Amino acid sequence: MATVKGEEAELDSALERAADLLGRARFPVIGGLFTDISGAAAALALAEKLGGAVDHAAGTGLSRASRVMRETGATPASFGEVRNRADTVVVIGKGPLERDPDLIAKLFPGKPGLARPGDNQREVIFLGLDKVRTPRHVRSSSIRGRASLPELVALLAANVRETRFDIRDKALRTKLNRAGERIRKSAFAVFVYDPAEIEEPVMHTVLETVRHLVLTTRAAIMTVAAPGNGDGVNLCSTWTCGLPVRTSFAREVPEHDAWAYETERLLETGEADALVWIDALEGEGTKRPKGAPTVVLSSSPGRASKGDVVIEVASAAGDHDAALYLSPISGIGMVKAGKANKDKPTVAHVLTRIAELIDARNA
Amino acid sequence: MLIQLKGGRVIDPVNKRDAKGDVFIEDGRIVAAPQGREPDEVYDVTGKIVMAGAVDMHSHIAGSNVTLGRQLMPELPYLAAQDGQPISPSPASWGAYATGIRYAEMGYTTVIEPAMIPTHAIEAQVELASIPIIDVAGLAILGNDDYTLELLRDGKGRSDELKDYVAWTLNHSKAIGLKVINAGGSEAFKFNDRTFSLDDEVPEYGVTSRAIVEAMQKAVADLAVPHPPHVHCNNLGIAGNVETAVATIEATQGLPIHFAHIQFYGYGKEGEKGFSSGAATLMDAVNKHKNATVDVGQVMFGQTVTISGDILRQFDGRRAASPKKWAINQGDGNGTGVVPYHYKSKSFVNALQWAIGLEIFLMAEDPWRVLFSTDHPNGALFVRYPEIIHLLMDKDERARWLDDVPEASREFSNLAEISRELTYSEIAVITRGAPAKLMGLNDRGHLGAGAIGDVAVYTEQKNKTKMFAGADYVFKSGELVVRKGKVVRVTYGRCYHVEPGYDPQIKRRVKSFYDSKYGVDPSWFGVSDAITNRRDRFATIPLSR
Repeated sequence: MATVKGEEAELDSALERAADLLGRARFPVIGGLFTDISGAAAALALAEKLGGAVDHAAGTGLSRASRVMRETGATPASFGEVRNRADTVVVIGKGPLERDPDLIAKLFPGKPGLARPGDNQREVIFLGLDKVRTPRHVRSSSIRGRASLPELVALLAANVRETRFDIRDKALRTKLNRAGERIRKSAFAVFVYDPAEIEEPVMHTVLETVRHLVLTTRAAIMTVAAPGNGDGVNLCSTWTCGLPVRTSFAREVPEHDAWAYETERLLETGEADALVWIDALEGEGTKRPKGAPTVVLSSSPGRASKGDVVIEVASAAGDHDAALYLSPISGIGMVKAGKANKDKPTVAHVLTRIAELIDARNA
Repeated sequence: MLIQLKGGRVIDPVNKRDAKGDVFIEDGRIVAAPQGREPDEVYDVTGKIVMAGAVDMHSHIAGSNVTLGRQLMPELPYLAAQDGQPISPSPASWGAYATGIRYAEMGYTTVIEPAMIPTHAIEAQVELASIPIIDVAGLAILGNDDYTLELLRDGKGRSDELKDYVAWTLNHSKAIGLKVINAGGSEAFKFNDRTFSLDDEVPEYGVTSRAIVEAMQKAVADLAVPHPPHVHCNNLGIAGNVETAVATIEATQGLPIHFAHIQFYGYGKEGEKGFSSGAATLMDAVNKHKNATVDVGQVMFGQTVTISGDILRQFDGRRAASPKKWAINQGDGNGTGVVPYHYKSKSFVNALQWAIGLEIFLMAEDPWRVLFSTDHPNGALFVRYPEIIHLLMDKDERARWLDDVPEASREFSNLAEISRELTYSEIAVITRGAPAKLMGLNDRGHLGAGAIGDVAVYTEQKNKTKMFAGADYVFKSGELVVRKGKVVRVTYGRCYHVEPGYDPQIKRRVKSFYDSKYGVDPSWFGVSDAITNRRDRFATIPLSR
């Protein structure tokens, strides 16, 4: 199903209108990008052709993590390594459990894991949030107080490094001392966070702590995956053009700027004069921003029916098999379609057709 | 359509050809000179050198490990261009698209990605599929994964189960062969070991590196996979490591084995600085052990980034990072370490590494067993290949470069005394014939009738850097894709892999292992034909028997 200005239209005619709209645009942005790897690849190809930009609805966290990586690197561990081998897991903030409420159960499944370093009982430290239930074989503690999350991270980091710091809250100090000691004695401590929740300086503090710990023991970070296949789309952008999402193809070489190429800002300021909004993942949805003539590719078009051109597409992993970022393998895997539906076009197909129509007009 | 390349000097050592003559291509394949038919297209290549399309058998061009490198170092092409390397200053220059374009311009038509992480094989294969023009294949990494180590711990190193597991992994990743990277060392790192040698034991498993390599050699030989285990030894980059390399070569028991980027293992510990060329010792062992093949891993001066599944070594190497940042991904199996590095001609160690690589090439008695590589991007970016060919073919060029390196580096290597200059035919062996044969890609690396229509034509000139930087013509599967050093047509190639058989029971066991240890179904990371939209993307090559 497709609509043009709210009126039902044939797919071909909607594609023509989309090509008109985008062919005329001076600087379009392709945003949302709740899509699979094929959809992301097609979006990047179209953005390059149009001299536009690409962004993802979870671009804020993705861009932060990308910048921290560019500036100082990172020491991640895979989900499998953390599940099997971490003796201490520090959950930083509420983000990780909001992203995946079953995270603790997945990390501590109660089955014998692989051989792991050291013989500590496994423990979770919740930093800046209340304890949640952990399996019986896993100890847990919570560090909260009046301090903000960045302050708690800084205090814990100082404690791990045995740097002097002053706080009046004695209960908090005791907890921090205990956690610091536990982390120093860990064979493999892992800090889990959501890049969408903590700012770059906090990430740097965590990474510096890990770099300190690895001088003598094993330690790592693990970030929770962004919604909407954000990590998959970001990886695809990186191997395609060398840069993460929030990249513009308007000039001779691609340019990444987490502030300049954010979809909402581009629309609010009028710097972008057209939007392609992609929202086509099974079981997930994202809210479209307003502000420019829009081509919407949605697997649930009811959510965004007032766009200028709306094309109903197949949902990745619902209507068709899809390559997506999968947390349990800390990489891109294949998810079979829940109920294959070949009647609806895929995001990749629609974007490729639009690119072909634009090519044909420019020929 | 019948294409004639007329009157060039045809260099085709596989078919013992080095003479003026013609090459004919029809329907994507090389054909014998047709009788009584006029060609549809004639290219007059008089005075030019005609070779098969080049085959790079060890170049990190795709996969989650390479993309981790891209994430850490988007500025790599800028830094490389600043120090004069032939690369455009754009982050896209080491993206997938540019990779295929630049390779094709140099006359390369097949490239092997040597480090596919089995659980990330889908990303590797999707990335490979987005590289234009060239054909590709990937090697799947095993040897630090817990399934293998559990089998070895339980005394099943010579069992059918290990063989079945290797076969299943190769099928599941659509790989052409097996890679073993610092066998046991990456796993030992996970138990906080910071050094690991041939006879050290992996903690908790009690398995040595030697035992892992031996078991893999036997499994691959039994499976009749054409490419032998592709081994990255222990102790990479450490002074005195030539002893480890020689011990590893001697431990191979006559079974086929390939040692990757051996320049990084050619280090003695003579002299005040405790670092010297071990090339003569190493090459003595390589020349003697005819079951072993090697690729060199030549170093060139300039900015690059090192990417390796040897996380133990990369962790140690982080202290030399330039720019000062690094990433160690402690992944399932080997994981990945990324460390940016700047090789400097004025550095005693770097200059010696550069000299040792060239010594290895030039001391090879049998070029069919000593193959061309820089271990891209680890020793140098692949865009530097023309300069290396120049250095190998021209002793005066070597002398010019030697003038620019520290005297001590000259002193501790034998390069200045070597007058050998490789011939075109030898270059064709180490960049075409030998790598194709070693991978089991028998339809390429040569220009015999029936071979794939991959041909590179170069204008002969004294300056080999210029000569090999841009081919006059490149045909890929019979289509003209490069003219005057520039791509004129963007095509997409195929991915070659093996399909060794296995007892289907292994699927159940692997599934149960992944379910209980990782909460993962192996089907999530299995590579199917459908991962690209191109129907004929994947092609199987025959086993050795």
